[in-house]
Amino acid sequence: MTPAQNDKLQRRAFLTLTLGWCSAAFACLASVAAAGRFLVPNVLYEPDRRFKALKPEDYTEGPTFMPNLRVFLFRKGNTFRAASAVCTHLGCTVNLAAGGFHCPCHGSVFDTSGAVVSGPAPNGLAWFQITLSRDGHLVIDTAQFVKSDKYLVV
Amino acid sequence: MLNSLWNSFRATRVGRSVFRVGLPQSNLERAQVAISSFFLHFQPAKVNRRSLKFGTTLGLGLISLYLFLILIATGVLLMFYYVPATDYAYQNMKDLEFVVTAGQVLRNMHRWAAHLMVLFVALHMCRAFYTAAYKPPREFNWVVGVGLFLLTLSLSFTGYLLPWDQLAYWAITVGTSIAGYAPLVGQKLKFLFLGGHVVGESALIRFYVLHVIVLPLVAIMLIALHLWRVRKDGGLAHPAEALPLKEDVSQLPGTKTYGLMELARGTTPAVGIKPEDEVFTWPNVVFREILLLMATIAVVLILAIFWNAPLEEIANPVHPPNPAKAPWYFLGLQELVAYSAFWGGVVVPGLLVTALIALPYLDRRPKGVGVWFSGERKVALTIFSVCLSAAVILTVIGTAFRGPNWSFQLPWKPIHVEEPSH
Amino acid sequence: MDTSLRKFYPWFTLLGLLIGGLVVVAFYKDQHREWKDWQRQYIKDEQARAATPEQRADAARIPVEVRQIVLSELDRVDRCTSCHVSVEDPSYAGFPLPRSYHPNHDRHPFNKFGCTICHQGQGRATTRQAAHGRVEHWNQPMLDLKYIQSACAKCHLPGDVPEAPQLARGRAVFEESGCIGCHKLHGVGGVVGPELERVGASRSPEWLLTHFKNPAAVTPGSAMPPLKATDADLEALTLYVLSFTGESLSAYYVSMKTIPGPLAGRRLFAEKGCIGCHSVAGKGGNVGPALDEVAKRHDVEWISAHFRNPAAVSPGSVMPQFNFNEQEVRALTEFLLSLSDTNIVGFMKIPSLMTAVERGKAVYKKYGCAGCHAADGQGGVPNPNAKTAQQVPGLKMVSEGYTKDELKKRIMDGQKEIPVMDPKKPAAPLYMPAWRGKIAEGELNDLMEYLVSLAPKGEKADF
Repeated sequence: MTPAQNDKLQRRAFLTLTLGWCSAAFACLASVAAAGRFLVPNVLYEPDRRFKALKPEDYTEGPTFMPNLRVFLFRKGNTFRAASAVCTHLGCTVNLAAGGFHCPCHGSVFDTSGAVVSGPAPNGLAWFQITLSRDGHLVIDTAQFVKSDKYLVV
Repeated sequence: MLNSLWNSFRATRVGRSVFRVGLPQSNLERAQVAISSFFLHFQPAKVNRRSLKFGTTLGLGLISLYLFLILIATGVLLMFYYVPATDYAYQNMKDLEFVVTAGQVLRNMHRWAAHLMVLFVALHMCRAFYTAAYKPPREFNWVVGVGLFLLTLSLSFTGYLLPWDQLAYWAITVGTSIAGYAPLVGQKLKFLFLGGHVVGESALIRFYVLHVIVLPLVAIMLIALHLWRVRKDGGLAHPAEALPLKEDVSQLPGTKTYGLMELARGTTPAVGIKPEDEVFTWPNVVFREILLLMATIAVVLILAIFWNAPLEEIANPVHPPNPAKAPWYFLGLQELVAYSAFWGGVVVPGLLVTALIALPYLDRRPKGVGVWFSGERKVALTIFSVCLSAAVILTVIGTAFRGPNWSFQLPWKPIHVEEPSH
Repeated sequence: MDTSLRKFYPWFTLLGLLIGGLVVVAFYKDQHREWKDWQRQYIKDEQARAATPEQRADAARIPVEVRQIVLSELDRVDRCTSCHVSVEDPSYAGFPLPRSYHPNHDRHPFNKFGCTICHQGQGRATTRQAAHGRVEHWNQPMLDLKYIQSACAKCHLPGDVPEAPQLARGRAVFEESGCIGCHKLHGVGGVVGPELERVGASRSPEWLLTHFKNPAAVTPGSAMPPLKATDADLEALTLYVLSFTGESLSAYYVSMKTIPGPLAGRRLFAEKGCIGCHSVAGKGGNVGPALDEVAKRHDVEWISAHFRNPAAVSPGSVMPQFNFNEQEVRALTEFLLSLSDTNIVGFMKIPSLMTAVERGKAVYKKYGCAGCHAADGQGGVPNPNAKTAQQVPGLKMVSEGYTKDELKKRIMDGQKEIPVMDPKKPAAPLYMPAWRGKIAEGELNDLMEYLVSLAPKGEKADF
């Protein structure tokens, strides 16, 4: 064939090949991405991190311990706060003590606002966002952190 | 610019530890490519020109291999969500269907690839027979192939139970009962496989372990042996005459990469082959292999996207469906067993498998190798075709023509019986 | 470039594009889900309602994800809230489904009960058809709302739920029709027909309704007579029978204060130390009588009254006054009844303040005699090939042909072999069961009074 024809064939072959390789590469990458996304769970069989508690009037004055997600609920009159009961050192459940919290595992001591007083804990206890649902229940969200002085007023 | 970046990386310690040998620069290095490159190592440097023709083998063995690879890939992914316990298995299948991203399509791919693999392995075996590819020196490879066929059936059967729905439970109950008819060892083997007398917790975990690790490992080893033997036996079976030189297949490659066989003289595993009959594996064979892989993937994807794998009610040991059917590849057996448990379930399949294994040692006439339906093998072809047709017909009857209580029915006029309330 | 391979390039491209396209199609199919649309709509609504920018920002942050309620005690996972997002939000009352609020949602909090325990359906599914269970291979489709009261019976006794009048009515029809004369329920009843333990789970409401109206239409060759009741009564009966699902809910649910069942009673029994004076299964004190067969000696009213004030019903009793509340009385009574496995008494009360004939009529109802002999012994229930005019004999004239002792013996012994008209035809399907050991002495006596009272005044039998 003439050089011109040969060139044309070469160019067409090149374009075809490129298109082929691009779509094949796309398919490969997309499949790998899909496999990765497949492995990310969409549902968890754990207790919901955002849970609905009882109505405000069902709680006594002072602290209430909720064992499922390890949360302390504090009621003072008509204000509510929720603190994490998980020690920031190595994850034990802290106990209430005079003037704050005390961890039985390695002796960390926290004050009433959750700040570390003494012991190996690196940070203070976390406080969780607490809201009121439309049907009048307290909702505690352990994935949302707030400052220790934030109250919910009902 | 990229080139220079690449070269600088290659010069570092890390680069040199990974890529110890560069691209071949001299003729000697080019000749050694067949040994130093992994993907070119398990294929010969050159193959007979007939191997390029699609009609030689229809690519059936390769398709079976690709389906196996697809099964491994999808299977491993599915393992992240499946728990082989009777309390969880069915619920996990529902989760895959509804809440796992791409769960449904991956499960479909797995199921379709599984059914296709059984089909294509069987077709591949037929092709090997019809082209007399079991004759010397390929006898042992044929036997390995029969082993792989039985492994494929076992893999499919063990996987069939895992969804733990009515279809799975009763298919395995029927299948293991058929196996239990084997004399002397039948009941003991059945007890061992089920881990009990009925299909239950133990059966599920045993089948799972067999399905995900034991049988695949054995299959991989046998496949490796099977492919290695293909090379050792001189490539794909072909007749002695050279293929007429019609195609524009270059004898010397366009690039300056020479295989060792081209330069060296002396005996090779394929003795007496003239150079004109061979072509380089790379790129001729490899390219076709990649195309076939893409085609297989495309077909499996199409099936998986548009046809869902079945999932019936959760397994109910009290209430079998009517009729309770084994997986389709065992329905021919089940049909036979309906006539006679011993003769149909033990003798006939036993004889068939024995005949398959003994075949290459019984038929050693070197006629018709590599030729489809050679006229020099009329007797062998007839016997095989008759048995094959019988198997197909029995399977079709068992699939489409058997209704409740295994009564005969026309597929377009299914019979319904009132189910007792449980 | 190897020219001989050039012929394959278009194939390569085609396949590459095909696979790429298929991956895109698969991805799209997978990502596009119904529940996402409903949730996005919900988020839009919330944003529109937001009064402050902060609330709007909160609403915008609501994630679009599968929502589920995991109920390990019930062995379920309910994903209904993936579409029915605002079921717990009273401000969505009156919205069209699936966005509307579920009335009285606080009665049975969703995080403890989920949805499918009452409404049925397929909790794990996330598409409308599959979740409502109206697909092949799911045997418990969502209950039509008109049958929803049947779900109450999974935990509550039919008479205990004032908001479920259909359920109580259905139970009354069940008793009147004498179903347990032929069918067993909770281990008590006849053996002519199949057990009813799971019938609510394996039969659809339509099947049940047809079955009551015309049994032979759904069960060829059935000996069951069509029920004589109004359509409304049959609907109520269907609703009641739908509650027989054979599900045994965990003690967690049955122990709740509002459900005074035998399990709650057992706990109280242990707490109050009854075993100090009374014995069960041979273990315990002997100050008071053994309690194993108390249900055979006394009816429900007596037992309940005894718990409220022992000395009033059992003069001279040294049993102290425990001051139980009504729920506790109920629970303890249920527990004692369950000891002798005549739990059927639990929902078929035979009050003690009746005349003997009235009590006898209650016994007639309790053991389901009406199932074969029809209400008030009218007879007329077909029994093909039976010598007695191919029917189950009526009982109106029974006192003329038999003495009371003969009658009692007939009832205790039963009659398995019914004489047939034509020996070549199949045997008659209905027969008289033996009631020895199943009916108490006192009940039998009352039953005699009732049967005698059936004879119409002034008529004589003409046989």
